[in-house]
Amino acid sequence: MNEQFRVAHKLGLMFLPETPLPDDVKSWAISQLNSKSPALGFMLVSRGTNTPIQEWPRELQPSLDERVQMWRTFWINEDLARAKKDGQDSASKQNENRKNLWGERDELKFVHRNIYGEDQLRLRFMAFWTNHFTTGNIFDNINTIGHAMDTVVLANLNSSFSDMLYKSTTHPSMLTYLDNIWSSGENSAEARDARKNGFQAGLNDNLGRELLELHSVSPSAKYTEKDIRNAANVLAGWGIELKRTDEWMRSQGADISDYSNLYKKRWAEPGVKNVMGKVINQGKGGLRELTDFLASHDHTINHLSTKLAQHFVSDNPSKSDIIFIENAWKKSNGNLNQIHTAVIERAILSKEPKFQWPMTWLFQTLRLSGATFVHGWDDLNQDRSIFKRLMRVDKIFVELGQSFWSTRQPDGYSSDKAEWISGEMFERRIRFSEAIYKAGRPQYNSIQIMDRIGAGAPTRKLVDGFRNEKEKFIALMCSPELMGLENV
Amino acid sequence: MSEFKLTRRDFLKASGASLFLAGLPIPGYTQDKPPGTISVIILEGGMDGLTAIPPFGDPNLMSMRKAITPENFLKLNSFFGLHPSFNFFSGLMAKNNAAVVHATNFPYVLRSHFEGQNLMQGGGTAPFSETTGWLGRSLDLAKTPGRALSLDMPLILRGHNEVDNFFPASIKSSSKLKDNLIDMITQSHANESATSFGKLKKKVGMEVKNMPRDPASLAVYAGKEMAKENGPLASVIKVDRFDTHANQGADENGNHGAQLTIVDDILKGYREGLGDAWDRSIILTLTEFGRTAFANGTNGTDHGYGSAGLLAGGMINKSKIIAQWPGLAKRDLFEERDLMSTIDYRSVCAACIEKALGLDHDIIADKVFYTPKLPRVYDYIFS
Repeated sequence: MNEQFRVAHKLGLMFLPETPLPDDVKSWAISQLNSKSPALGFMLVSRGTNTPIQEWPRELQPSLDERVQMWRTFWINEDLARAKKDGQDSASKQNENRKNLWGERDELKFVHRNIYGEDQLRLRFMAFWTNHFTTGNIFDNINTIGHAMDTVVLANLNSSFSDMLYKSTTHPSMLTYLDNIWSSGENSAEARDARKNGFQAGLNDNLGRELLELHSVSPSAKYTEKDIRNAANVLAGWGIELKRTDEWMRSQGADISDYSNLYKKRWAEPGVKNVMGKVINQGKGGLRELTDFLASHDHTINHLSTKLAQHFVSDNPSKSDIIFIENAWKKSNGNLNQIHTAVIERAILSKEPKFQWPMTWLFQTLRLSGATFVHGWDDLNQDRSIFKRLMRVDKIFVELGQSFWSTRQPDGYSSDKAEWISGEMFERRIRFSEAIYKAGRPQYNSIQIMDRIGAGAPTRKLVDGFRNEKEKFIALMCSPELMGLENV
Repeated sequence: MSEFKLTRRDFLKASGASLFLAGLPIPGYTQDKPPGTISVIILEGGMDGLTAIPPFGDPNLMSMRKAITPENFLKLNSFFGLHPSFNFFSGLMAKNNAAVVHATNFPYVLRSHFEGQNLMQGGGTAPFSETTGWLGRSLDLAKTPGRALSLDMPLILRGHNEVDNFFPASIKSSSKLKDNLIDMITQSHANESATSFGKLKKKVGMEVKNMPRDPASLAVYAGKEMAKENGPLASVIKVDRFDTHANQGADENGNHGAQLTIVDDILKGYREGLGDAWDRSIILTLTEFGRTAFANGTNGTDHGYGSAGLLAGGMINKSKIIAQWPGLAKRDLFEERDLMSTIDYRSVCAACIEKALGLDHDIIADKVFYTPKLPRVYDYIFS
């Protein structure tokens, strides 16, 4: 591949057709970190030609307030349906009620912006951090995962890691996914009253543990069970089951002016806590003290510099790659722009190929070929016959074996190709290439794509070995070069 | 007051599970065929051994975890019960085709899912020390050549060259794979990616359409494949969502109980699919750790240490409960919080390998688990 596409393959999602290639690809890549990130997509595919690419409409990108209200409405109707009241148990009302659930539309928005966005590097960093702060869909957070992507990850890509860590830890999607909404301090008013009345209440250490193990310092920091428990006590009180009424939330001592900042005073653990030697004050502000401490910890810096290098530079990054990123981290006090710039520099410098995740490969394939493989945001309300040809996005991700909405373990997806190389995974790439060719109707053929990216001789030889364009297309997309297995 | 309502399960009835088959003999290969088949059910998230096999005879049990202990357990003996989700498994116990090992785990005490899972699949002596898995290495030692049929390749099976995976695709506008397409793509690749593409060739013409993907159906399918003359010698089914930190429930309707029901359904599926091959089968569960002995503040349990293992199959001919019960008094718990593990579960895995694949214990101890002095527990289970 030419240098522009080699860099776009490793760090981005490939240049869209018709986009001019930059002469200085490194400066371009770094400038991408500050590019605008509108969610681009389109409305309809069902009426012959697609409607033009434009920003997703405001009403399809609801605020957290709106998402919470829809979630509550969903449950009110669901309770009526169970009680067989107001006709809510009819199929049409049930279908109508499911429109209060936002998972599939968020998933479509994510796919659209990855196919049509001009901020390809930012989107790759967005995927990296979304995976780092994994929140799978356990239904209770179906309306908040997409919101977390936008407000925890994307909105903080030019901020600091400590901001992102705090925002992630306090977002309803995380507080729900890792059970913190249920956890109360061992000596909180909530736990004491519950015990008095013969109920169980107290700590749940799930988020406290993963905050240390996965999100920050990692087991290399050799924290103890007591540290985990104390971290859980710092977290106690954070988060509320969002279908609760505002009135109930207030009765637990929560300020409800901002649903992304919900803290139940009654459930908080009184007193100072000690986590890994750091004394944390009591009260709501204690969590920020903890996440700031963790964010700047040497073990966090090492853990995440390594993880970034493994994702973007090489499966086996060199020590100097990791030290280079660590130094940028330390010098900038965890400024993500500076950290990401260091990652970009090392990724470009390293000539090693980087095997791409199934979803990244899918987006890259669609951008290179100009195929329309997913539907528009209004197609579900229009002529549904289009779905005889196109798959729904959630289904695509299931078959790819990777989705940010699947229920999965909180360590997220591995960047190591060993986790992804299997006959079955590869069969999916062949099948998806064919499906994209047949159902997606690419605008560019294999020769045009190879010319544009400057495909290497082995890739051309492989593609030339086939007579019909469908097989040429499949072979190209499954070539070692486009899968990120070999630099040609 | 804390109030917990079930919401998730209403919408997540179909639990995700994956199937892996391995050690499929090459056609024509007949020498030294191992005596049996081995199947592993991986329980991801940490199965609660004290819920699955409640030691109701221990005086401390109810005071520690009343809200999450089933009242309607089935009695195994005067001390241990069986969770009501294990309806089919209790029948196997009655027919002397099952066994339980309690207070057991891999020797790992740091309570991380990811380290624990890596160890229980890798079988190494430290987390992330191995790039291959204990079952893969065993199949390699048993010299069972051949391929296997899932989406990803779990660590437990890596290390055996001929392992491949199988999981039926359902992709619109894709058709049957063609030999020459696969050949040419394979030739353009090197190393492990060439191997992976190369394996697809054996699947040409092997279209399985609309195969149900629920755990029990996967088990029936695995059993049928293993029952064939040259069928696979090993299979692995992975079930997740045992990590019940909140609202664990007590009986078969609870969150943990629902997962145990899936295990029971899988065993039933294997029994049905294996048919006569049941007699030469051994099936065992595997989980990264048990859960805290005390219920936590949210009617769930956090990560612990000792758990229990379930064994089933026709190669077991006397039902047993194998345990050196450590007790649940606070001083008897590991770090005053978790059930102690008194039996190294690697020994249990080794015994199953010895029985099913006909390998010598010392070789398994040394070459599979890198622990030459690993205790042999074969006689406790199989004689």
